Amino acid sequence: MIHVAFEGEPQMEIQSIRDWNRKWRRIAPLLWLIATAAAAPVIQAAEDPLIMGVFPRLNASETTKRYAPLAKLLGERLGRKVTLVTSKDFPSFWNGIDEQRYEIVLYNQYHYIRSAKNYQVIGHNKEFGKSTIAGVLYVRKDSGITDLTQLRGRTVLFGGGEDAMIGYIAPFYMLLQAGLKKEDFISQFAVNPLNSVIGVYRRQADAAGSGDMVVGQPAMAKAVNFDELTALAVSEQLLHLPWAVRRTMPAQLRESIRSILTDFENSAAGKEVLKAAVLTGIGRADDKDYEPHRRMVRAVLGPTLAPR
Amino acid sequence: MRLNLGAKFTLTVLIILAGTMAANTLYFLDTSARFHEQQLVERGRALGRLISLVSPDAILGFDFLLLNDYTREVSSQQDVVYGVIVSPQGLPISSYINASDPLIKKRLEAASSTEIPKLLQNLGGHDKLIQMEFPITQNDVLLGRFLVGISRQSLQSEFRRQLIVQILVMVAIVLFLSAAIHAVFRFNVLFPIRKLIAASRDVGRGQYTLVEAKSADEMGLLTRAFNAMTEEVRQEQAKLHRQANFDTLTGLPNRMMALDRINMEISRARRSVQRFAVFFIDLDNFKSVNDSLGHAVGDELLVATGARVQAILRDSDTVARLGGDEFLVLAPDVANEVQVEEIADRLKKAISEPHDLNGRKVVAHCSIGIALYPDNGQSVETLMANADNAMYQAKGTAQGSAIFFTEEMNTRLHERMQMEQDLNLAIEAGQLALHFQPIFDSSGQHHRGAEVLLRWHHPERGAISPAVFIPLAEATGQIVGIGDWVLEQACRSWSAWHKGGISPGFLAINISRIQFRRRFSKRLAELMSIYGIPPGALELEITESVLLDDHHQVAEELSSLRAAGLTLSLDDFGTGYSSLSYLKRFRFDVLKIDRSFVAGLPNNPDDVLLVKAILAMAKGLDLRVVAEGVENHDQLSFLAAQGCDLVQGYLLARPMKEEDYLSRLKNLQAGVEPLRLSASRNQRTNSTS
Repeated sequence: MIHVAFEGEPQMEIQSIRDWNRKWRRIAPLLWLIATAAAAPVIQAAEDPLIMGVFPRLNASETTKRYAPLAKLLGERLGRKVTLVTSKDFPSFWNGIDEQRYEIVLYNQYHYIRSAKNYQVIGHNKEFGKSTIAGVLYVRKDSGITDLTQLRGRTVLFGGGEDAMIGYIAPFYMLLQAGLKKEDFISQFAVNPLNSVIGVYRRQADAAGSGDMVVGQPAMAKAVNFDELTALAVSEQLLHLPWAVRRTMPAQLRESIRSILTDFENSAAGKEVLKAAVLTGIGRADDKDYEPHRRMVRAVLGPTLAPR
Repeated sequence: MRLNLGAKFTLTVLIILAGTMAANTLYFLDTSARFHEQQLVERGRALGRLISLVSPDAILGFDFLLLNDYTREVSSQQDVVYGVIVSPQGLPISSYINASDPLIKKRLEAASSTEIPKLLQNLGGHDKLIQMEFPITQNDVLLGRFLVGISRQSLQSEFRRQLIVQILVMVAIVLFLSAAIHAVFRFNVLFPIRKLIAASRDVGRGQYTLVEAKSADEMGLLTRAFNAMTEEVRQEQAKLHRQANFDTLTGLPNRMMALDRINMEISRARRSVQRFAVFFIDLDNFKSVNDSLGHAVGDELLVATGARVQAILRDSDTVARLGGDEFLVLAPDVANEVQVEEIADRLKKAISEPHDLNGRKVVAHCSIGIALYPDNGQSVETLMANADNAMYQAKGTAQGSAIFFTEEMNTRLHERMQMEQDLNLAIEAGQLALHFQPIFDSSGQHHRGAEVLLRWHHPERGAISPAVFIPLAEATGQIVGIGDWVLEQACRSWSAWHKGGISPGFLAINISRIQFRRRFSKRLAELMSIYGIPPGALELEITESVLLDDHHQVAEELSSLRAAGLTLSLDDFGTGYSSLSYLKRFRFDVLKIDRSFVAGLPNNPDDVLLVKAILAMAKGLDLRVVAEGVENHDQLSFLAAQGCDLVQGYLLARPMKEEDYLSRLKNLQAGVEPLRLSASRNQRTNSTS
């Protein structure tokens, strides 16, 4: 079983039951990679395109559908072709980060903290008009749990794997802050923060590690009656998903890209691509803006920043 | 309610068809319902297996949204009311309820996610719901269960729809088939049957209509059988008609047809103002032919007579045999009595021609009574009665006479009928009385007995001669009762006299041939026993007419009487047909010489010869002889000289009342009254036999 992180993406689209075919889910990105790999030498030779990577929280087709317009508009305004590259899964995506194959990359906060040596943040997502997001520990109101310490010996269902900033690291950080250690509770992992909340709602766990963005999600409205849930603890507000560029990128180009991205919300064409990407805008961000995230990651994962 | 055959048949067919179709429809619907139910179950199983197959990864990954997608997709299938994935502990982890389904709508309104188990429990066992459960496992570890509920609502709606459609189709088929069968039945069965009914009614009216048989099936066979039956009935009817209207022996019309012909002739004659004659013919002494030559010869004689009569008549005339030896001739359109007489003469002549029957010559004569229309009657009954009456009158005349009816005949007939009625009352009214005429030995000196004589004193007409009322009593059968009364009175008187110490001698009582037919000997023995009459006290006088009847029966009766010791006397000897043969055939004790032979004695040589011969024969046969009608001394002397045993007559004593005879007996017994020969030759009275 593969546990994947699901960071700060409130507009989760749920694939229909017809998309459940896992085989297709595996083959589609592979076909895309093969196609892009075959086309790469031609592009490089002609326009020296910029490679834009997006972490695979969605499948390749959905990722392409959302971000290809953005990459195209970015390339048009930059005067240089921007090629969107998707990954079949997180390991392969992370492998691309390690090898710095992407000039431009969108990933979660933990990914940035861990890759900050090679990549420099230039912006952040604005979702539903907000630039920040907070980690939340949800419990059922009828559970009788009113304090984090009551979770001792209980099951906490985290929304994502250990690299999930909002679904795991932030809630875990709050537990640590409350004096609990990892072995004081049972950790279980849902595929994303939404499912962790549903799991608690369905009494499959005592607490859910999630974010404040789940409330108001259309999918959640059908699956959960939030009147029966309560937020046991809420973390500090953390900046949304980061847009970063390779540190080796020329400063003029880096700033041009930052400028274009942060200017999208000011133009009709920009709004169109933002809408396609289910964003309300892209704000400016610098490395210091992710210090709170870095602090939490170090507290939870240790100085190596790697999952335990 | 009265249903005709077609309606009954059609109704029966309709019921059978409806029943069959209904059963077929129910079977079809039941099968269809089972099939659809099976389909629902199979669909549920398919969904269950699908969910069981795809859910483990989502459950293990706590991917509830994906599970929700699964359950939503599954539950969006037609007829699926709910799809719920529950944990091994029974907690629902993904569910989809079809809120629009009426079955659970109101339940769902009050239900929350936590109440889903209660909702499922509440739905459990509902007859409109198929509920199934499928385990979700991975590596034999139970991860949860998938519960799916499939509604039978649409199935039942479809069942109802199909039921309505099937019923409508069934009704249409049944009505169509019933109408078609009724039409075929009407054409092939009802129409022929109605024709047969009409033909049957025709047969009932005497019209023998045949029905055309068109088909070779059972109806055709029935029609042919009916036609055959009609033909049989027609022939049988003709036969019956012939039997009813024609005489089987002669082939001539019988009495019924004769009456019918006369009736028709009356109508015709009335319209055309014509006369016609009815001849009533009776063969004379036909009984003698039967008795002497046998019935077969008698029948031959009747046939021959009929043929002869028919041969001499016109085609328009009718000859009929009325029965026995009676024939009737209807001669229409006769001008006058002369013509009628000519016809009667031809009839007499034709009938009296000798017949050669069975090798023997037979001559028959007839008596003819004639009645004319409208002179002697204007109805069948009157004409027949008058012709019969005339024939009766003719019988009393010479053989072979023909007499026209006259009103006087009717007068006599009415008188006779009145006398018959009066005679019926005579015994009870005490109008009958016994008289006694003493019988003496031929010397006239010794009383031997008396002949019992019956007298009728009519209150209005005075004394009526036995010669008048005895034949009438015999003709009407009244003689049986009268004769019995005479016997009993005689026995009673003799018994009374005897008990009174008087010796009355014997009493000679006349017995009618009619009495002989009614077990006479038994009745006489009974009376003799009752009154203590010794056998020798009674002498029965029998005329030759008795002997004309059945010889065997007469012989038996006579034997019985003789065995009882009674004396038998042959009365009126010499006036009959074959007295000598009777004497030979039957055993008598006494002969009574008729007064007609005694009257000429001793001067008439023929009477002398006859009386001598009778006396000689009687001696030879050891018979005593009684001579009747002795009225003078010469007769008495002659009879005594010739050896006659007994005599009676006015010379010796007239018939007298019982009290007179008793007084006479007492005097005789006392010897105070000597023989008194008081009668004169001219004093003849009516004595009877």
